[in-house]
Amino acid sequence: MLAVSLDFILGYAGQLNLGHSAFYGIGAYVSTLLVMQLGVPFWFAFILGIVLSGMSGMALSLFAVRLRGHYLAIASLGFAVIVHQVLLNWISLTQGPLGIYAIKPPPSIFVPGLPIIEFTNSINLYYLISGFAFFSYLLLDKLVRSPIGETLTAIREDEVSASSLGINCTLWKVFAFGIGSAIAGAAGAFYAGFVGTLVPDAFIITESFTILAMVIVGGIGTLIGPVLGAILLTILPELLRGFGDFRLVLYGLALTLVVLFMPGGIVQAARLLCVKFRQLLNVSEAARGL
Amino acid sequence: MSVSPVSTGKTKAAQSLNPALFCCDNLHKSFGGVQAVRDISLSIPRGVVFAIIGPNGAGKSTLLNLMSGIYQPDAGRMNFDGVDLVGLPAHQRVRLGFGRTFQKIRLFKQLSVLDNVIAGFHIHHDIPAWQYITHGAGFQRDRAHCHEEALKLLSFVGLDGRESVPAASLAYGEQRMLELARALAVSPRLLMIDEPAAGLNAAEVERLFERIQLLRGRGLTIIVVEHNMDLVMKVADRVLVMNYGQYLFEGSPAEVQANPAVITAYLGA
Repeated sequence: MLAVSLDFILGYAGQLNLGHSAFYGIGAYVSTLLVMQLGVPFWFAFILGIVLSGMSGMALSLFAVRLRGHYLAIASLGFAVIVHQVLLNWISLTQGPLGIYAIKPPPSIFVPGLPIIEFTNSINLYYLISGFAFFSYLLLDKLVRSPIGETLTAIREDEVSASSLGINCTLWKVFAFGIGSAIAGAAGAFYAGFVGTLVPDAFIITESFTILAMVIVGGIGTLIGPVLGAILLTILPELLRGFGDFRLVLYGLALTLVVLFMPGGIVQAARLLCVKFRQLLNVSEAARGL
Repeated sequence: MSVSPVSTGKTKAAQSLNPALFCCDNLHKSFGGVQAVRDISLSIPRGVVFAIIGPNGAGKSTLLNLMSGIYQPDAGRMNFDGVDLVGLPAHQRVRLGFGRTFQKIRLFKQLSVLDNVIAGFHIHHDIPAWQYITHGAGFQRDRAHCHEEALKLLSFVGLDGRESVPAASLAYGEQRMLELARALAVSPRLLMIDEPAAGLNAAEVERLFERIQLLRGRGLTIIVVEHNMDLVMKVADRVLVMNYGQYLFEGSPAEVQANPAVITAYLGA
């Protein structure tokens, strides 16, 4: 969910955003604090968390509207540092580095005629979150396959040209940031309910880089790529566990190799293989024909 | 969304009152200490091909960027069909009926030829908001329509059969024509083309000439900045000559060719 929503901002609208962990954190803390401090019902708090992280994304892109490339990267990085520091130091609200414990999972859902779905059961919760992740993937997929996708890629390719076609670049960049950060906020709200504890360090800026790595390894500018990247980068460290501390070195090495040899990520590599395979088939068919 | 400009009753009424589609008064623009455009005033009637010529660095492209809204002038007024343009950003001027190409080609390089043109339909999409997500009937109709119109435009500029290749892999002359097709996709009333013949071979220049004639025939007003004098003299109805950011002369192609000040500017005193 995080990787796909970052790819919407980065791969389609071309905005280098290194502050994705901040939107994730805002979604998690806002929804959790609303439930625990004010007793707001979970789903209402969930929606407010999404809205607030979406709005903070829009505000960030509005302030940074003149910034592009590296400069936007630094501004968004700064934003992530600020959010992390606020979470860490606003102790009266967030309990700072002590963290928030015993966060309840989402309340049970009652559907008439069906058994009660309890989310204290982590398997049910897992299905709920997967369902929502799939839903956000579908939403983004529909958006990028509509003229909105064309508009965003036009901005990524050349802003001056885009504005000569009547595209309001500011508006659409804010839109992309809003949608992307809202989905990251939703992921944060689920994270809190799933893990049950919240500490500021879960949303430290290195988290942004991990998400970025998922997008790059999977394939920038394809929605399925970041999904594959996320799966791979979650499984890989587990597989390498046998190597002990050495696994982080292997992990870094694998990342470097991907960037050096398949800049388009897994998706590009898969496409290349497909083309090669088809050529091979054609050759063998041609041979048979002879 | 058709290539020919849609003339509504309102524009016809304005037409009888004011023959000029675009006019500007006393435009100024400087960059640092350099005055790129100094005190330029002009009036462009409807349906003409208006050429802007001048030696390198005369401020022609800057003037075009002021007109299209990429830059805002330091001083002066601009008016398009009765609408005051000063302060209006480029993307809003497109909705009034501006279309343009660039001196240094600015295509969406990684997108296909077809997608470059389809991106030009941005202001013409007619899709209910929810259908951006549901992809319903209106969405499909709009998609098919854009596809069809884009293919028509590509065939108009002579790029049939090239629609699925990436824009970056086109030859230079083809890229210029693709930029023209993309600019036409916004259905402009005023088309500004910046050095369209630069880097084109003789046959391509000839085709460009024919296309400009066809577009004028459809009622488009065209501003062309160009160095190729043969093309300018053949295609233009009016010619503005600029030198060092200033007005030097304005007249018909024949008058320009005969003017001693113009000859001096080009050949050196």
